[in-house]
Amino acid sequence: MNSDSIIVSNLSKRFSFPVKNPSAGWVKNLFAPETKEINAVDDISFSVKSGERVAFIGPNGAGKSTTIKMLTGILFPTSGKANVLGLDPSKDRKKLAYQIGTVFGQRSQLLPNLPLTDSLEFFGVMYDLTDKQIKARVAELVDLFDMGSFINQPIRKLSLGQRMRAEVAASLIHKPKIIFLDEPTIGLDVVAKKSLRDLLLKINKEENTTIFLTSHDVGDIESLCDRTIVINHGVLIKDLPTRELSQVFVREKNIDITPETTFDEFPELPEGINYGAKDKNKITVVVDINKIGVQEALRKLLDLFKVDDVDVYDTDLETVIRNIYESNPTRQ
Amino acid sequence: MKAIRLGNKIVRTLVRDRMYYPDRLIVDTFGIIVRCGVLLVLYWYVFSLNDGMINNTTYIVAAWSMFFYFAFSVFRLRDISRAIMQDVQSGNVEILFSKPVSYLSYRMWWQVGAGLYPFLVISLVGTIALALIVGLPATMSVGIFIPTVVLVVFLGTLLSLFLYAVVGLLAFWIEDINPVFWIVDKTVMILGGSYLPVALFPDFMYKIALWSPFGASQFITHTVYETWATEWVMKIGIQVFWVLVVAIIVSVLFAKAREKVSVNGG
Repeated sequence: MNSDSIIVSNLSKRFSFPVKNPSAGWVKNLFAPETKEINAVDDISFSVKSGERVAFIGPNGAGKSTTIKMLTGILFPTSGKANVLGLDPSKDRKKLAYQIGTVFGQRSQLLPNLPLTDSLEFFGVMYDLTDKQIKARVAELVDLFDMGSFINQPIRKLSLGQRMRAEVAASLIHKPKIIFLDEPTIGLDVVAKKSLRDLLLKINKEENTTIFLTSHDVGDIESLCDRTIVINHGVLIKDLPTRELSQVFVREKNIDITPETTFDEFPELPEGINYGAKDKNKITVVVDINKIGVQEALRKLLDLFKVDDVDVYDTDLETVIRNIYESNPTRQ
Repeated sequence: MKAIRLGNKIVRTLVRDRMYYPDRLIVDTFGIIVRCGVLLVLYWYVFSLNDGMINNTTYIVAAWSMFFYFAFSVFRLRDISRAIMQDVQSGNVEILFSKPVSYLSYRMWWQVGAGLYPFLVISLVGTIALALIVGLPATMSVGIFIPTVVLVVFLGTLLSLFLYAVVGLLAFWIEDINPVFWIVDKTVMILGGSYLPVALFPDFMYKIALWSPFGASQFITHTVYETWATEWVMKIGIQVFWVLVVAIIVSVLFAKAREKVSVNGG
């Protein structure tokens, strides 16, 4: 059994900021402003085992990045505890930094004007590797991430896909036990996304690196992570294997109906069934399974249409996740 | 040891970066020639109207004092304020906070690395040019001159970095530090002798320049005065005092800023 890499207990982060009161004078607004408080992260608890690949998802402003920043020692929690690799991130930030890697998809840690090799060597020194270790690790990463063709190019001349590979490689220079990735595939094309996901899977398998990832990209979640934690309004609302995500949250079934000849009219559907798409050669209906069972829905649809073929399937993961985000947060 | 190795790596990397792009050095050099050159011509004219001496100061001394100010300003240590502000405003501070380094010492090394190459080149070229054009002041031939200049530059570098880091750290509270930066920077310029050599200051302003951290950060401009041989111990003592005081202020402010951090996003 793998040991826990991350243990989070009742972790909260509250931000307070001054708000201008239009009815108060400028003196009051300047010296005694009213403050507004936001619970960015509200009493969340979970743990992650060594070598796990965890997606930490939620809509914008859900508290994902704030949680990652508390786990990496960037932000101090308001209350609760975080333990990462046996260390308290808020007290042992530097010690912890030697054992973790971070990639923030929207920010670059590389030196823009210099060749990639300089950035990698620079990070090697930062992580206290010897010159020999740096040389060996850079060669290993160049090979693993297939960066040979652009290792000597200045960072600012790399494509976004190449840069993101370089960002991940730089964060792995010291062989971290955990890598935190905050939207690593943002802006990448499908080929670059796949390439990055494959690399992350590879380092997870070969180096047993724990992956803790936030992303809005369903592909990242499906192809990379075997576990998903869902957070919304700062509250942890679900923590389950990714493959079960659809089953647990599915509220709808889709049914594709192919006509014997063509559909000439589209009659009104029974309660709980709605048209998803109307075409004379195929219609798709969405069945709300909280209102009507699939068997009942099929019977009613067969009464309405003369069909040649019927295909019943689950809602895709993206829709499932959207449904989760749109629902009111209920603590798990 | 690790901090020194990292600092050395930062400085070497950035010096190489500056050497890749010589156009920046050319722009810096041109700026110095224009700003310092115009002032030197004006001072030459004013001094010549007063038989070559004002307030017991010769034109040669005034010219070297002014050149030292401009050469030191090429170091661009004051840019640490804006670098910190940009880190805070852009949220980039989080990247550095997630690394096993002290944010402030990293930023300070970075600033030294960014300015060292133009500083050394312009100091060297300017020294040769000025020696040929106006000659050398008498204090430069005293044995103590070079070691004390090195010490004053070192302490002035530390003090400038700390002073401007204080300004930069205010970004954690007020985000836009430009108004504060402007006040501090102009104070340093005036008390450092950018507009008028300190030797020509009225007595009360000379005392402010002598005893304030703003003036002390630019004591390099004092090293060419004839009084340097007798005053260097006191002036270096003042610099050491302010380095210690401002370092304490920086570390207290930084500890508060770390608690205050609320990076963009999330």
